[in-house]
Amino acid sequence: MTQKSTILLGFGLHANAHGDDLDWRGFWNSLVGRLDGAAEFLTLEDRFADPGRDGLDAILLANWLAPRSRDIGIIAGAPLNFVEPFHVSTAIATLDYVSAGRAGLLIQRLDQHRSRDAGRAIGTLKGFPAVDPLSLDSDTLAATEVVRRLWDSWEDDAVIRDVASQRYVDGEKLHNIDYQSADFRVLGPSITPRPPQGQPLVAFGWTTEGDLALARAADVVFVPAGTGFAGVAAKLRGEGQGTRPKVIADLQVRPDVADVAELVAAAQTSVAQGAEGIRLILPALYRQIASVVDALVPALRADLLVAQPLGGDLRSRFGLPAARNRYAAAA
Amino acid sequence: MSKKQIILGAQFPGVNNFTVWSDPAAGSQIEFASFRHFAETVERGKFDFVFLAEGLRVREQKGRFHELDVVGRPNTLAILTALASITNHVGLIGTLTTTFNEPYPLARQLATLDILSGGRAGWNVVTSPGAFTGANFRRGDHLPFRERYERARDFLETARSIWQGGDFHIRSPHFDIAGRTGAGSLPQGAPVIAQAGDSDEGRELAASHADLIYSRHGTLEEGQAFYADVKQRLAKYGRSRDALKILPGANFVLGETLEDALEKQKAIRLQQVSPKNAIVFLEQVWNRDLTAYDPDGPLPEVDPDVAVEQLAQGRAARYDNRLETARAWRELAEREKLSIRELIIKVTGRKQFVGTPAQVAEEIDRYVQADAADGFVFAPHLTPGGFDEFVEKVVPILQERKVFRQDYAAPTLRGNLALPETWQPVAKAV
Ligand SMILES: Cc1cc2nc3c(=O)[nH]c(=O)nc-3n(C[C@H](O)[C@H](O)[C@H](O)COP(=O)(O)O)c2cc1C
Repeated sequence: MTQKSTILLGFGLHANAHGDDLDWRGFWNSLVGRLDGAAEFLTLEDRFADPGRDGLDAILLANWLAPRSRDIGIIAGAPLNFVEPFHVSTAIATLDYVSAGRAGLLIQRLDQHRSRDAGRAIGTLKGFPAVDPLSLDSDTLAATEVVRRLWDSWEDDAVIRDVASQRYVDGEKLHNIDYQSADFRVLGPSITPRPPQGQPLVAFGWTTEGDLALARAADVVFVPAGTGFAGVAAKLRGEGQGTRPKVIADLQVRPDVADVAELVAAAQTSVAQGAEGIRLILPALYRQIASVVDALVPALRADLLVAQPLGGDLRSRFGLPAARNRYAAAA
Repeated sequence: MSKKQIILGAQFPGVNNFTVWSDPAAGSQIEFASFRHFAETVERGKFDFVFLAEGLRVREQKGRFHELDVVGRPNTLAILTALASITNHVGLIGTLTTTFNEPYPLARQLATLDILSGGRAGWNVVTSPGAFTGANFRRGDHLPFRERYERARDFLETARSIWQGGDFHIRSPHFDIAGRTGAGSLPQGAPVIAQAGDSDEGRELAASHADLIYSRHGTLEEGQAFYADVKQRLAKYGRSRDALKILPGANFVLGETLEDALEKQKAIRLQQVSPKNAIVFLEQVWNRDLTAYDPDGPLPEVDPDVAVEQLAQGRAARYDNRLETARAWRELAEREKLSIRELIIKVTGRKQFVGTPAQVAEEIDRYVQADAADGFVFAPHLTPGGFDEFVEKVVPILQERKVFRQDYAAPTLRGNLALPETWQPVAKAV
């Protein structure tokens, strides 16, 4: 192909990013003000049970940011092993309503160390997985499936407000999901009607080879830029079970280097290797954000690598098809 | 002596038959625009707080989804946090169960709401109906009644330890958890705690741990009895009578004249209790399929089925003794010559203030000054405009009477409710 296609630009944040700033609201308000219109999406990782640095609940923070932003997609994280999939499903559906279709869920599979902290913070409970990698992986897959099925558990036209039959809802259009995993069972249906996108976007951050099944349960996968990127991207797009997720390259912006040209080159390399977008990770966000938004973003745009944010619902911006409801009778 | 100041809470019309959906003015129950309109209106009216109820499973009747009432709601904490973003003064109280949550995640979420709202978070602690709702959750199980309250108390104390920030290490009958949280020193010290249980256990929990009670005792006499009962429980915990505010749930109907308002009330009650819904209510007591009965006809002659299995699922169970309730209802229906629908309209009503704006304001004031309440949690019958007229016409009269604020006096919900400014550890009962 000769035509140069454009890519998506996002920022990878976490919900403790305010650091030492005591004015948490002021920090997040000005941050989202800077990013809205400059980037297509942001991810908000949840620092659940990170000792002393656990910050804000990411999905709630996302719901606070949504009404004070216009265009930016907001992908909020949840450590599915340690929370109730039912609550996560309704909270992301709510984010989708509040943001008019800009919502996504970042599936967080915590590493072994953080998982142990998280396990201690909730205690040993029936229905939650044991803290070993295999149990955590399969539980994350199960919880993701539950979250997704609950989003579909109401058909779009379930609310009928039919005065003649005195019925508000058509019970035939609500569906039990009745999902049984190794550790738990969820019956459904959701208490929240199907969100505007049907299926809010589901994203996942790749760390190791063992992540393939989880990555293929997602719509979008973040993969570290660099030597391994091309191989992972190929694997994700290859034959096999699950989705063919969109692949986004994670680019670390080192705090000491303000070399825009170098970063643009790195972005170009990722694109050449098949990235459909890049996510910028700023380790010292507080100090870096101004220069990144004022210098790097315009440079990426000037190079036509990055399009002006598109707005509209988040799935379509990532080139994902409209979500079909698995429970709706085939038309 | 100066008059008591009235507390006003605004319940978003919820998942039950009081929310009228068949009216042309009834808007979306789920779009954010509805919540925005609702919250902005009551904040304009200087209300103390927005209030959301909770129900974590779609209600069922005779093994099928209950179709006649409004159903579908957002996630409580998520929508309250979104509302925190577009309001500046009004409190945000969510009903959240201690049965299908765990202390660390929930305490952290409430801390998040308190921080992002600048100190306006509140938590109505409920103990939840059991196994039916449990089917949607990992834990799944259902605790016996007494244990649910023990867990609630334990949960609250655990949450309070977490809200103090820093290290927490709890070993209690219900929890064995540890960690370190970074969100210390919340704007309010701790979110405002409300409690809704009505049993002796529920009232004790309120007296020892809560700032507010949301009660269902709305009439003058019942309200006064409840008020006296709960307030006298406070001393035992070393708390003053002002430390716990009592707020019955209530409703209002406004008209040009009293007759006009009564006429409207009648029409609203008919919308709330549709013919089919009248039968559903009757089935909750009879515990039998009564679809063959005429809603405009007399009550069934057959007696209730007293089997344990309930036809109605997902509602707060209110009819402990079905045979007794059926007997009383029959008697009432015969005495007043009521059809099934007329009876249900009569016996399922909530406290309603009906009249002109001046009459309604005066009546609310009278109840509060007579210690039937410290204020009310009003649930209008329409989404999202149910408070428009109340804010425009009733609130100014309350303000003129000097029993309701002209403007918010404090930045926090705790402050506006005139509760102790920061949370004080509660002394254990002796
Ligand atoms: C006025 C009132 C409102 C309530 N609202 C809710 C609610 O929104 N969600 C819920 O799960 N339980 C709700 N409950 C149920 C209580 O938390 C409690 O489980 C129930 O009343 C049984 O306990 P009790 O016997 O102490 O009243 C409510 C109870 C009352 C009295």
